[in-house]
Amino acid sequence: MAEEQKAKEHKKRRTATHAAASIGPMVKEAIGGTVRARAEGTHKIAYTFIVCQHDEILRALDVVPVWTENYAGICGAKRDAERFLQRAESLGFSRSLCTYALCGLGFDQWREELGEMPPDAPWGGQARPDFMISSGQILCDPRSKWYQAAQQFMPDVPIYNIDLPYPLYDPKRDHREVWGYYHKYIVEQLRGLVAFIEEQTGKKMDYDRLKELVALSDKTWNLIHETYELRRAVPCPMGTGDAMNTMVPMVFMMATQEAYDFYAGLKKELEEKIANKEGVVKDEKYRLLWGGGLPSWFALTDFNYFNSKGAVFPAETTYRMVQPLYEMDIPETDDPIEHLAWKWLGYWTFWYDKARKRPGSHPDVEWLIDYIENYKIDGVVMHEAFSCRSWHVGLIWQLHQLAKIYRPIPVLVLGEDGKKKEDRRELPSLVLESDIIDITSYSEVDTRNKIDAFIETLEAVEKSKIK
Amino acid sequence: MTEYFAGIDIGSTMTKAVILDDGIIAFVIGPTGPEQRRLANKVMEDVLNQIALPFQSITYIVSTGYGRINVPFADKQVTEITCHAKGIGSLFPEAKTIIDIGGQDSKAISIDANGRPTDFIMNDRCAAGSGRFIEVIADTLGVRLEEVGDISLQSKNPAKISNVCTIWAQQEVAARLAEGVPIADLLAGIHHSLADRISRMVNRLRVEEEVILTGGGGKNKGLVRALSEQLGHEILVPDKPLITGALGAALLGKEIAEKAKKNNVPLETKERLLEEIEIL
Repeated sequence: MAEEQKAKEHKKRRTATHAAASIGPMVKEAIGGTVRARAEGTHKIAYTFIVCQHDEILRALDVVPVWTENYAGICGAKRDAERFLQRAESLGFSRSLCTYALCGLGFDQWREELGEMPPDAPWGGQARPDFMISSGQILCDPRSKWYQAAQQFMPDVPIYNIDLPYPLYDPKRDHREVWGYYHKYIVEQLRGLVAFIEEQTGKKMDYDRLKELVALSDKTWNLIHETYELRRAVPCPMGTGDAMNTMVPMVFMMATQEAYDFYAGLKKELEEKIANKEGVVKDEKYRLLWGGGLPSWFALTDFNYFNSKGAVFPAETTYRMVQPLYEMDIPETDDPIEHLAWKWLGYWTFWYDKARKRPGSHPDVEWLIDYIENYKIDGVVMHEAFSCRSWHVGLIWQLHQLAKIYRPIPVLVLGEDGKKKEDRRELPSLVLESDIIDITSYSEVDTRNKIDAFIETLEAVEKSKIK
Repeated sequence: MTEYFAGIDIGSTMTKAVILDDGIIAFVIGPTGPEQRRLANKVMEDVLNQIALPFQSITYIVSTGYGRINVPFADKQVTEITCHAKGIGSLFPEAKTIIDIGGQDSKAISIDANGRPTDFIMNDRCAAGSGRFIEVIADTLGVRLEEVGDISLQSKNPAKISNVCTIWAQQEVAARLAEGVPIADLLAGIHHSLADRISRMVNRLRVEEEVILTGGGGKNKGLVRALSEQLGHEILVPDKPLITGALGAALLGKEIAEKAKKNNVPLETKERLLEEIEIL
């Protein structure tokens, strides 16, 4: 009854693709699968984080991953995170911590206290883990501390922490000078993970199987890249609103045939749309880049609002967690663990060479420029989610650097002599402010007022462009 | 035959209406109340009465501000970003940066030589970046809002107000007042605190002169000076800083009507009928 009521209150977002529309049931089934696996005791279950380069290792050892950030996101998307956030707050955790972590901790404490899932837990709830794999990567400190805090409620559940660093960008140094050291370190981390899981599961790693899964992942990476590149088409066949759904197999289902098949299906669907000149919006006026920041999962309909103004997002940096392997300059190896480590380093240093060529640039800014040029972008939108420091610190700096070093719009300006002369100006940008799942940080009226003003700005810039 | 254009700006705190032909011929400013549709009618009626102009003689009406959708007779709704850019652009042809400090929000807008917005940033989340911040403090200190600017300019030793949250700053001011810190120093400190917060937002844009301050904040000399010091730019203020959004709205209406005439297309307008006013 309560579920029905919630469904009525929060309408489903309108998607442009069948692929994106199929994600909800897919995730529901995946979460339900973890709960069933717990009940049946068929597999070992691990709490863990996305983008930790260990999906293949988990799958090869038949571990069922519970992606705790994903479950918090689901609670947010269903506008049902508040009660878990409040519970975590009442336990003494600050509301300004990562709200994914807060939601998870509130949920876990409640489930442990009851000995069963909290009432009306979204999509059946989050299964209790046998072990937890935390991670110190991408500067996200909650990832290192979240599971330690969860041990207050689950002291019997062990943790293994993997550390996945990558060389910091230095415009004067070639990262290849040092990445051998990083590689050695990451390989050790991953081998340690294998040993930990072997101990927890009582299974030995089958390295031939691991090799097959790594090859499947690689194939899927390249397919995702090729699929997403189709969004360059005008009109754009799929926007960021949909991509915030179609990222699910990319970040939660790598090393599975289902993920590969999903993107093969999406690619076919986009090719058909392009052939039929079918765009996300009927009359595409503005092409925008989602230049950074996790979205507000409870407000994905804002993408539809952009669409209603003739604006579409052909590209995003968020959750586009692939770069084509054939363009990565990484050494060949037959060892799947060594390959995973090279793939990690290749991905995070992908834009380093390009950034060195442009004074004042940075890899993250080069990524934006690449999309702006190749996807014919008219403006950049970012989202500052207050509770996610690791991902969101630096977004405004990126916009500033972008504006300083890259001005793609040709305009006429008044020169000192009073005569008009040609100049170039930066792309307009919009910074939305809210959170990933804390709905109390969000105002639909204010957000849409900003979107209206941004569209008017794009219109004004269009008028002043030299064509 | 003379053509008249109206702009109506329903802000979070104040509602403004402007009528123009070649220039402004009438304007009104009044507080925004909860019944915005009625308020829109009332304000329109007032401004028309000023110059004894029948409603039917208005060629085009543009509404703007937070309450823009609550103007039933508006022919078009445009955001305050575009309207401020247009209004300020007409008053200051060299303007490049606009800072609008309103009752509940503040914003910064970059504009081009045609008075069109090219970029903007808005703070709509926190009273500490808006006129409300000053209102709360003035109330705490028992000072009339109109006097706040002049009193603060008398300060030789501005107090350091650490808290940026309105409620906490209010507590801090009350505590410092109890310590015997002069009101002028407290107000000067508050202006520095507000200017600091606003300048951080404004600096997200490329700030270029001329910099114009508009909205209710423009009437506060202490704030203008503090902001000018923080930004390192001279700040200009229009004579009537509250009505620049409504002026821009009216100017946009004029532009739309002229364009329609030039292209020989009919101008789509709403029925010129004011709703019956029961209150206000």
